[in-house]
Amino acid sequence: MNRSGRVRPHLPWFILIGAVVLLPVIIPSKYVIGVMFLVGIYGVLAISLGILIGHAGLFSLAQPTWFGVGAYVAGVLAVREITPPWIGIIMGALFVALISYSMGAPLLRLRGHYLACATFGLLIIGEIAFTQLSDITGGNTGLLDIPPLSINGFVFRNVFHYYFLSWALCIGSLWFYSNLIHSRVGRAIRSSHDSETASKSMGINVPRYRLQLFVLTSFVTGLAGGVFCFYLRFAAPSIFSFALLVELILMIIIGGIGSLWGYLLGSLVIIWLGELINVYLGKVLPVMTGEVEAVFFGVLIIFVLIFMPRGLSGWVEQLFRLGKRTYEQVRRNPA
Amino acid sequence: MTLLSLIVQYAISGITAGSIYAIVGICWTVVYLIAQVLNFTTGEFVMLGGMLAWVFLGAGFGLVSAGILATACTVGIAMILERFVVRPIRYPTEMIYMMMTIASASVIKGISLIGFGSETRTIEPFIAAKPIRIFGASLTPQVICVVGVLILVMSGLSLFIHRTVFGKALRASAMNLTGARLVGIDINKFRLFCFGLAGGLGALAGIAITPITFTGYSIGLMTGMKGLVAAIVAGWSMTGTVLAGLALGLLEGFGAGFISTGWKDAFALFIMIVFLILKTIPLSRRLVRKKP
Repeated sequence: MNRSGRVRPHLPWFILIGAVVLLPVIIPSKYVIGVMFLVGIYGVLAISLGILIGHAGLFSLAQPTWFGVGAYVAGVLAVREITPPWIGIIMGALFVALISYSMGAPLLRLRGHYLACATFGLLIIGEIAFTQLSDITGGNTGLLDIPPLSINGFVFRNVFHYYFLSWALCIGSLWFYSNLIHSRVGRAIRSSHDSETASKSMGINVPRYRLQLFVLTSFVTGLAGGVFCFYLRFAAPSIFSFALLVELILMIIIGGIGSLWGYLLGSLVIIWLGELINVYLGKVLPVMTGEVEAVFFGVLIIFVLIFMPRGLSGWVEQLFRLGKRTYEQVRRNPA
Repeated sequence: MTLLSLIVQYAISGITAGSIYAIVGICWTVVYLIAQVLNFTTGEFVMLGGMLAWVFLGAGFGLVSAGILATACTVGIAMILERFVVRPIRYPTEMIYMMMTIASASVIKGISLIGFGSETRTIEPFIAAKPIRIFGASLTPQVICVVGVLILVMSGLSLFIHRTVFGKALRASAMNLTGARLVGIDINKFRLFCFGLAGGLGALAGIAITPITFTGYSIGLMTGMKGLVAAIVAGWSMTGTVLAGLALGLLEGFGAGFISTGWKDAFALFIMIVFLILKTIPLSRRLVRKKP
C-alpha cells in the first residue's frame, strides 16, 4: 500500500499497455487490429466528450465537428502537399483549438439547454460547410487520395502502425485527462459542475476554466481527427454527422457518466457491437448504413438510461465491492 | 422574370416554409413549457406525418381519412414516447432528457429509412387548381392550404388555451409547475397530452407541406431545428413563435434566392447561435461597467 491508501494505482495502466502491446502478437489479424484502431480513436473522442459532459457538466454536442475539422485540415494539407502529413495533424488540431476558442468564449456563457442547442447548431453548420466548401473539401464525394502518414521518413504503411499510433494517442490522452481531473484545475472544474455559485464564491474563475477545458478537449479531438483521416485515406461529410454524435453519447452512457476508464470501455463495447451488427444484419437488411446502425444505438441509449443509469463502470464497481465484502466476511469468519 | 416577380416568388416560398417552422416551433414550445424537455423528435413528427399520409394514400384511403389516420398514428407514437421513454427515467436532468430525445429521433429516422425507403415521396396537392399569377410569380393553391393550416392551428390552439378549463390548467402549469401541482393539476397527464399535441400538430404540418417540398426519411432534423430556432428566438411564447417562424422562413427564402441555396440551412442555425450569444450579454453591463 502506498501513501494514498490505494492498492497499486499504476496496475491498471500496466495492464492496459500490456494488453495493447500484446494484442497484435496474440491476434495478428488485420481485421481485428483495424477495429481496435477504431476503438482507440473513438476512445479519445468519447473520453474528451465524457470529460465535458460528465465532469464539467457542459453538454457540448459539437464534438463530431471538431473531429471533422481536424481530419479535413490535416487531409487537405497533405493532399495539396503544403506541409508534411504529421505537421498537418498538428496544424489541424491547432486550427480546431482556434475555432473552438473563438466559438467557446461567447457560447460557454450559456447554460444547459441553450449550450446544447448552440453546439448542436454548430454540428449541423459544420456538416453543411464540409459539403458546401467543395473546392477545398471535395463536397459530397469526399476528400480522396490522402497520402499515408509519414514521420521523418518513416511511412505508416499498414494497419499495425496506425493501431499503435491510435493507442498511443488514446493512452496518452487518458493519462493526461486523469491527471488533469485530479489536479487543482480539475477540482475547480468538478466543483463548478456541482455548484457554480458555490465555486464562484470560493474565488474560482469558472468561465476561464470551462473555456480552457473546452479548447483542450477540442484540440485532442482534432488530433484524433488527423490520425483518423490518414488511416482512412478519405474523408466525407457523412462521417462527421449526427450519427457519430449518437454513437459517442452511447459510448459515454454505457461506460457510465463520470468515469474515464468507463468511456474507454464504452468505446470498446460499442465499436465491437457495431461490427457485430454490420456482420449479422448486413445480410438481412437491404439498406445497411450508419443510420440503421443508429437505430440499435438509439434503442440501446434508451434502455441503458432507464435500466442501468450508471453504466458498465457502475456495474463493475458494484461487483468489485460485492467481491471485496464477501472476501472480508470469509476472512473474518472462515467457518 | 423581373426583380419584382423574383421578390414575390421568394416571399411566397418563404411564407410557406415559415408557416411550417411556426407550427413546429409551437410543438417545441408546448413540450418545453409543460414538460421541461427539449424534444428533439419534433422534426421527426413532421416527417412521420408526411410519410404516413403517403403510405395511407398508397393503400387506397382518401385524402381526408389518410390525413386523419397519419395524424392519429403520429399522436400515438408521440404519446408512447412520453410514457415509455421520457417518463421512466430514474434520475431526470436536462441532459438525460436531451440524450433520450436525441436517441429517439435517430431511432425514428432509422426505422423510417428501413420501412419507407430512402427515396423522397410526395402526395397530390389538396386542391387541384391552376397556379395563380401575382406580379409574374406563381402561387400554387397548396401554399394557401399551408397558410390555412397555420391559421387553423393557431386559432384552434388559442381558443382551446384561453376558453376552456383544460387550457387554463395548461397555462397554469406552464407558468408554475409546483403551484399547479399544489392545486391538484395532474402534471403527468398534461405531459402526456402535450407530447400528443406536439405530435399531432407536427404531423399536420408535415402533411400540408409534403405536396410542395416533398418528404424523405431525413428531413426531420433540419425542419425540427428551424422550429427550435423560432421558439428560442421568440423566448417560448406562442404568438412570438409564429412571428419568428414566418420571419425565419422569409429570411431563408430571400437568402436562398439571392445568396446561396446550399447554405440555406445554415442561416437559421447561425441566427440562433448569434441570438443566443447576444442573450448572454446583459444590456446594462456596458452602462455600469466597473473595475473588474
